[in-house]
Order: sequence, then C-alpha cells, then structure tokens
Amino acid sequence: MGLPTAGRDLLAHGIGGAKDLPIPLELAIAGAVAALVVSFTVLAVAWRTPRYDAATSGRPAPAWLDRLTSSTAWRVALRVLGFVFFLYVAAAAVFGQDTLVNPFLGVFYTLLWVGLVPASVLLGPVWKAISPSRTINAVLAKVSGSDPEVGMYTYPERLGYWPAAVGLYAFVWLELVYPHSTEIGPVRLWCAMYIGIMLIGGALFGNRFYERADPFEVYSSLVAKLSVWGHRDGRLVIRSPLANLDTVPVAPGLVGVVAVLFGSTAYDSFKEASPWVKFVQTTSIPSGLIDNVALLVFCVGVGVIFAAGCMATGVGPDVRRSTLPDVFAHSVVPIIVGYIIAHYLTYLVEYGQTTIVQLSDPFSRGDDYLGTADLEVNYWLSFHPDFLARLKVGAVIVGHVLGVIAAHDRAVRILPRRHQLTGQLSLLVAMVFFTVGGLYLLFAA
Amino acid sequence: MRATRLTPLATTLLLVTLGVAGCGGDDTTPEPETSSSASASDSPSASESTSESASATPSDNTQTPEPERPTIEITFEGDTVTPNGERVAVPLGEEIDLVITADAPGELHVHSTPEQELAYEAGTSTLPLVIDQPGIVEVESHDLELVVVQLEVR
Repeated sequence: MGLPTAGRDLLAHGIGGAKDLPIPLELAIAGAVAALVVSFTVLAVAWRTPRYDAATSGRPAPAWLDRLTSSTAWRVALRVLGFVFFLYVAAAAVFGQDTLVNPFLGVFYTLLWVGLVPASVLLGPVWKAISPSRTINAVLAKVSGSDPEVGMYTYPERLGYWPAAVGLYAFVWLELVYPHSTEIGPVRLWCAMYIGIMLIGGALFGNRFYERADPFEVYSSLVAKLSVWGHRDGRLVIRSPLANLDTVPVAPGLVGVVAVLFGSTAYDSFKEASPWVKFVQTTSIPSGLIDNVALLVFCVGVGVIFAAGCMATGVGPDVRRSTLPDVFAHSVVPIIVGYIIAHYLTYLVEYGQTTIVQLSDPFSRGDDYLGTADLEVNYWLSFHPDFLARLKVGAVIVGHVLGVIAAHDRAVRILPRRHQLTGQLSLLVAMVFFTVGGLYLLFAA
Repeated sequence: MRATRLTPLATTLLLVTLGVAGCGGDDTTPEPETSSSASASDSPSASESTSESASATPSDNTQTPEPERPTIEITFEGDTVTPNGERVAVPLGEEIDLVITADAPGELHVHSTPEQELAYEAGTSTLPLVIDQPGIVEVESHDLELVVVQLEVR
C-alpha cells in the first residue's frame, strides 16, 4: 500500500485498461429479432426424428492424423510442453514481483480462462492434454507402477459435474468479486489450492476425477464438443459441431456448470453498467456483500430459469423430469461460447498480446527470454468499434441458433411425440431470454 | 422426408433474417455519430484535429463557430465525490478538462489503454486529459475506492 509502483496501485478493480463501447441499439434489436425468428423457425420446420447419434455420427479422420494424435510420443510431447509452460509461469508467480506486469496474472485470467475457449473450439479438449495435475498424476502412477486411470476409490457418479461447478464458481468469484484479484499473492494461493485439490482428487479417484471435477478440464472439454474433433470406438473422427455437441456426457451437475459459466459472464457485463455502479457506490450496504449476492443471483438465476424451461413439459413414463436440466444443458454451451466471444474478444486479443510481451520478462528485470518483449500490441479491434459490435452480435446469434437446434434434436429424441413441440416452448423461451438478455447487457453495460 | 425439404427453407429464412439484421446495422455506417449527436458535433474530424496547436483558427470546422472544450466538473467532499459513476460521452483524441474541486489533495486513476494517473491539489484545479483509444474508460479515485465517471470515448 502506498508504494509508488505504478502497477500495484493502478488497477484495484481489474486488468486490461479500457472496456469495449456498448453495441448500438439498432444492432441489439436486430439481433434480438433474429434470435426470436430463428428460434420459432427451427421449432416449426426442423426435423421431427432425432438426427444426431454418437454411435454413428462422424467420418473417420485421415489415418495419419489418427495415428499421430493417438501416439504416445504426441501425448508425451504435449504434456512436456504444457508442463514446461506451467513451471515457467509458476516461477513468475513465485519469484516474480507483485506488479501488474507480472505475466502470471495475464496467463491466468486471459490466456487460460479466455484463451481456453477458442483453443478448445479449434483443437478439441486441450486442457486434458496439457493439464499439469494430470501430468503429475501420470508421472506418480508411472513411478509407483499403478494406473493413472484408477484411484483408490471409484468416483461417485452421483457427484457428477458438481465439483467442477463449484470450482468454476471459485474461479469467477476470485476474478469478479474478490477485491484483491489482481495481486499476485491471493491468485497464487488460489492456484496452489487448485493444484493441491486436483492432486488429492486424482490420487483418490484416478483420471475420472479430472473429467468431472477439474473446472478447467470440464470447461475445456465441454467447449471442445463444438469442435469438429471427436472419438468413436477409439478412432479419431470428424463431426459437425452439432453432432459433436450431442455427445456431451450427461451427468448430474452439468446444468450447474453451464449456469455458472453463463451467469458469471452476464454478471461481469452487468457490473460495469453505470446505474449499477452508482447504486453500489451510494447504498449503505457493504459492497463486498452486494457483489457476492449479485454473482450468486446471476448464476443461480440462470440455472433456475433454464431448469424451469426444461422441466415445464410433459414427459414419458421412462424419463424422470428432474433429470431434464442436465439432459438439455449441452444446448447452452454454444450460447455460452457466443457470449464469451462477444464479451471477451477484445480482452483476449489485446490483453493476450500484452501477456505474451510480458511473458518474455517474467521477473520484471528487463529480460527478454522469449524474444517477444519488444512486440507492439495491436489495438486494431478497439479502433473499429462498428466492426466489433457486428462481430459480437453475430457470435451471439450463431451461438443461439446452434443452441436451439441442439435442444430441438434432444427434445425429439427424449420427449414423447405429443409433447415434442409444446414441450420445447418453455425451453425456447428461456434460451431467447438468455440471448436477448445478453444482447441487452452488451448494449446497456 | 418432410424435414429434408424444409431444411433449405429454414436455412433461407435464417439467412434472410441475418441479412436483415445486417442491413439494419448498416444504416449506421455513413454517420456513426448519429446516436450521440449532441456531443459528437466536433468529433467527426477527430482524426485530423489531433494537432491541438492549430485550434486558434479552426478553418475545417464550418458548423461550429467556436468548438467548446468538453469539461467535466468533479467535486470531492470528505468521503464523497460528485459525479458518482455517471457515464459521460467524450470525443476521441481531443483534450478535455477535468475541473476538480477538492478539500484534500489526491490522485485520479484513468483506466485507459495505457493507464494514466492525474494528481490534484486541494482547492480548484484544471487537469487536461486526452484519450486516444475508443472504449469505456473508468476514472477512479483510488483513495476513496470509487468510480467517479465512466468516459464513453468514441
């Protein structure tokens, strides 16, 4: 406190400088109308028999690609790369200075949290391939001669994705609510706890734990279902993103994961809005309490609205109504990705470049280990707000369309015939609410 | 069979809708300033008028006879500040004045890219500020931990 180190004092509330301009009203309205029209068009004219089937969908990828990506050398190479990078950033976190030019913050909040989304959409489940806790777990298993897949106990399937939902909430709480989120110490502590829990979980339950409880792996693997890469009978296949999305493994808590992801991003937009800032700054309620409650309300609100939308339908005798939110939750993933692109694109592109520059000097001593220290950050996106606004609305609408189609296909698969149309209506309303609400926040916040 | 015939229809409808949406947005291209016409009258030539020294003879500015320099008045009183999180439209790349009346010296943090810091004394002082990149820029009082204004720079 009070130290004249520019970085430390400057950013009490976030990193990355200026925020995006709001999108124009006419664009927001056009987007909202498009979302409505598309939704009901899909409902009215789309197919009536399920189209996506994990057991048959996708065509085999080229044999050389399959051989390459399933080879041990490839996997080990990715693990080594990921782990070297992890150690490099960990060194900056432990030995670097507590300033905002320490690349640790940029790597954690930008490259990892936001960059994970485009990386997974393009390449598939990247975090699974490079996750340092998986690597440590695999090495420990190798040394002790055991199998990293199995732990001391079987992972309780009743838990499903709930641990990941809690972990994701812990992340967004750190990023959006915790007042010292841009100081090295607390973020480092968060990461240490994350790694510790992951290692214990891996030892107890094997790799299944990472598939269900590692927040970053669950996020990455979920988003990777929008990529073209899939596996069927152990072979690499190329699928349409919609067919791939249909293969998301359904388990309890999936609805919690998507609610935290969408709700927290919406809250991040909302908390920048001037009326909200004015309210928080003038009310006598402590701002820490307000922020905590607001984040929780956004996440729980999204979950409740979505669950209600899913469950307000007639079901057949073979389907339990309470399972429907998890069964349909995959259809929110494209909506999340569209909104993440809209909300974070400038941040990822511009602060991501800044982070790559900072990475060359992890200890803030003027080093240039990677040769990137002198790169100039390109702010083209910020200087083209019209283009950016269109891109954002486009991303939100494409995400919405994919989500509606995914939900429709799932509905015609599991709902009884006479409820297939009416049963989708409430879910459709919930999705339109998310999309229009997201567009409204992009316009108003 | 019905579905396969209807799929192109759905696709067409979708494209038409998106096209309409795109056209609706296109209306704004010729005059990007329409939404904030009040304050933006002096900003269309922002890119050329960055050379502030020529302001004595604004020959290129035919509509406005004497371009008013945008001013934001900020008052610090004890633990409070006015304005308190308002949003203010600000022209890109032009100098604006923050007129600060304060009962104690302090510092404002301008969260532009790159960041700027402005120190002020007790009493009334005028601090010039230029933001060269479009966006929402928060001006924060670090001592009070309050957002004073959000500058909407375009």
